[in-house]
Amino acid sequence: MAVLKEEETISLAENAVKFALKHGADEAEAFVYQGFTTAVAIERGQITKSSRIIDQGLGVRTVVNKAVGFSYTNIVRNKAAVEETVLKSLKSAKASKPDKDWQGFPYKKPYANVKGTFDGTIYGLSPEDLVKLSSLMLSAAEKTDERVFPIEGGTGASYLSRAVVNSNSVLGFDCGTIIECSLATVAHESGEVTPVCFEFNAERTYKIDPEWVGREAARLAGLALRAKRVETRNMKVIFAHFALQQLLYYTLMNAVKADYVQRNQSALKGKIGEKVASEVVTIYDDGLLEGGLRTWKFDGEGVPQQKTLIIERGVLRNFIYDNYTAKKEGRESTGNAFRAGYLSTPNIETTNFHFAVGEKSPEELIGEVDEGLLVYSLQGAHSSNPASGEFSVVATPAWKIEKGIIVHSVKGAMLAGNVFEVLKNVSDLANNERKAGSLVAPWVLVENVKVIGN
Amino acid sequence: MRDTLTKVVNAAVDQFGAEYVEVRVQKLFKTMLTIKEERVEAAKEGIENGAAIRVLVNGAWGFASSCSLDAKTLVGVASEACRMAKAAGHKLKNPIKLVKSRAFEDRISVKPKKDPSKISIEDKIKTTSTIAEIVLGFDQHIKSCTVDYLDLAGTNYFMNNEGAYIEQDKLYVWSRVLVTAKEAEVFAFSREEVGSTSGYEVFDREAPEVVGERAARRAIEQLKAKTPKGGTFPVVLGPNVVGVFVHEAFGHLAEADLTLSGSVLMGKLGKRVASEVVTIYDDGTIEGAFGSFKYDDEGIPAQKTLLVKDGVVVGLMHNRETAQKFNARPTGNARAEDFRVEPIIRMRNTFLEPKDHSFEELIEGIKFGYYFERFRGGQANLDGTFQVGIQEGYEIVKGEVGDPVRNASISGNTLETLYKVDAVGKDFELWPGRCGKGQTAFVCDGGPHIRVKGVLVGGGA
Repeated sequence: MAVLKEEETISLAENAVKFALKHGADEAEAFVYQGFTTAVAIERGQITKSSRIIDQGLGVRTVVNKAVGFSYTNIVRNKAAVEETVLKSLKSAKASKPDKDWQGFPYKKPYANVKGTFDGTIYGLSPEDLVKLSSLMLSAAEKTDERVFPIEGGTGASYLSRAVVNSNSVLGFDCGTIIECSLATVAHESGEVTPVCFEFNAERTYKIDPEWVGREAARLAGLALRAKRVETRNMKVIFAHFALQQLLYYTLMNAVKADYVQRNQSALKGKIGEKVASEVVTIYDDGLLEGGLRTWKFDGEGVPQQKTLIIERGVLRNFIYDNYTAKKEGRESTGNAFRAGYLSTPNIETTNFHFAVGEKSPEELIGEVDEGLLVYSLQGAHSSNPASGEFSVVATPAWKIEKGIIVHSVKGAMLAGNVFEVLKNVSDLANNERKAGSLVAPWVLVENVKVIGN
Repeated sequence: MRDTLTKVVNAAVDQFGAEYVEVRVQKLFKTMLTIKEERVEAAKEGIENGAAIRVLVNGAWGFASSCSLDAKTLVGVASEACRMAKAAGHKLKNPIKLVKSRAFEDRISVKPKKDPSKISIEDKIKTTSTIAEIVLGFDQHIKSCTVDYLDLAGTNYFMNNEGAYIEQDKLYVWSRVLVTAKEAEVFAFSREEVGSTSGYEVFDREAPEVVGERAARRAIEQLKAKTPKGGTFPVVLGPNVVGVFVHEAFGHLAEADLTLSGSVLMGKLGKRVASEVVTIYDDGTIEGAFGSFKYDDEGIPAQKTLLVKDGVVVGLMHNRETAQKFNARPTGNARAEDFRVEPIIRMRNTFLEPKDHSFEELIEGIKFGYYFERFRGGQANLDGTFQVGIQEGYEIVKGEVGDPVRNASISGNTLETLYKVDAVGKDFELWPGRCGKGQTAFVCDGGPHIRVKGVLVGGGA
């Protein structure tokens, strides 16, 4: 099965829109997505498999009488199947209820150039190349600490392309690449098993360091051995990249979505211009960030992605919008309509949620902590209260800091609180920015976090 | 289909050197709805056809998938899968072997009383909108209601080079209600899920109005709730929380791939890990349950698997690869979300077996503790650390259920906690849910009420 070319992708989308208009749609939009991924997997200490997956499909939104229908198919090379999909979308729209707030699809706007999002080298990587990278990562881990067992991981290289066409003359095509490697490890020593330790590196261009990932995943697992319990009390906590991503993903990143705000599900409703975080916190949602994992020319509705100021030195400045929620308030979309491939209609998501960095090295940040925890990952962050921002999670792996030095790893410690209190208590930031999913951030030092041990 | 698959399987073995090959074809049709308050966000329908080919060459796995189902394309995909396996095998120390198993030939049809594909999308909109209306009309403090609906119907085809050929109809109906309520600065959140493999009649068994009202009432009650004290307390867990606890805290550790990765159950087969009142099953055979099916995605019949008997680990959940390593029989736990991914070990319907206590007997001796009735989410780690977030909970004061608490969670070490289960109720409930392990699987979890002598409760802020 072959990858669709740019012209094929666009004409597929254009034809679907034309066909929809001809068959009774007031408006129509077609989204074509294609993903071509080669991956190599590590399982229990060895490279065991390799895979190649091509996924391509078409999603069609049609509007009839202000009611929205959607249909998708992954049979894109068959004209009849595509037309049937459009007709299904129309049938769904006709069956659905009119939406009084529907104000149409977006109109065309110019797209900015994005940088560092495509690398032909990644597109050309063979499974043998990826086996080599996985192998480097695996041996780096093995050499670092013999008590460490790499349980799973691997490398993957993807080429992704997307096209949006709508009846308001929006027409866009963009393609990009992603390469990633990851390794999860545990360490064993005299009957003790550590929690899973994890490291990864994902980039849009071919500049990953699998050996660093291997070494770091192994180093963390080794350091996670001989864990001790801590006492219950409030203390300083340094959230490392993953832990911060997990904490914010289920709380703050939802609270800034216009959909949540308009539907009274956000604790930030009505707080534009108010102080919602400490002065050291500045956050942009930057859909154009060079080399960002979520950087694209346009979003899932064909609206240009942009850089939106969310929190400026602690003050809430903006929410993020798709076309529907923006029109409802008489605004313009911020280009945050996200699509998980062709299978779904767009919903609001952050792009690259970019936390401004500080000046201290991670070591200096640890040096500031008299008593506290360094937390690499959270367990149970998805059970946070998405509306209020309240969380009650396990910090694992995590380490105790005393008098500016890491003294031992910690087991069974829970953190409880409210993410908006956490944001107000951020006292310092490190300079070690990196990408973790949709978050781009450094380590963050937070005062006065409730730690429940026993 | 059979002829096409035969050609592909033969080509993989004869031309491309596969020692094992399996082809899975999926033809699925989905209907989805999202209702936000009174708004139907979009009525959605979709087709997902595709094929997945997995091979073993020189002991390494190769996998490739395709949206196209014609024989010529699929032979090409088989060749690609074999090429992948050869690439992966370069550095293999321990070649992968599969346990021997009987090759089944079968045709599984589903005959729902109410076939969702025969129900109009207008009716589905009416059912889901009714839930939203009930929720929004329940109380002025209800601020939002999202109702998601999914039905999925189609056929899966399976063939391997050992003679297995299975055609299996698939049918799932699922709905989820999310409710937020707000009063002053307090937010409350509740969730309900409905899921079945029988048919649209799931909404006859429990009317949409009942589901909506239950979700709404819980959100409103949580508004009055206080945050719990942090610390170790005796708790009584309801069937819904017991279900997520046995699934997350124990079940994942008993998935043989994770056991081999070094979960705390490694080396524990035949050993005591829990108090004597604990018996746990993972059962793929419960009629109509959300986690049930006849054959797994390696062509192995689903079965009722005993994991813990009277506190002793007696079994793990296997695919053919791990069964070979443990010298065990495959249990029918290999499941793939769709044609884009390979089958991995997944749970089905996981539950703790009921015993003899009434609810009153469970709580009567507790001076101060908590009764946790509904979970919000849960997660476990290989070292046995678990966390379960609670959406509905109450204080227990002097043997009686007291004031509601919100945003609680429990945590601890699974095995230590299983030892502290000192009484098990006689009731039983099974709840549908979706489990994530890289892929999503439809499952059920459940059990009776149980009492745990002491568990760490994470309090609110």
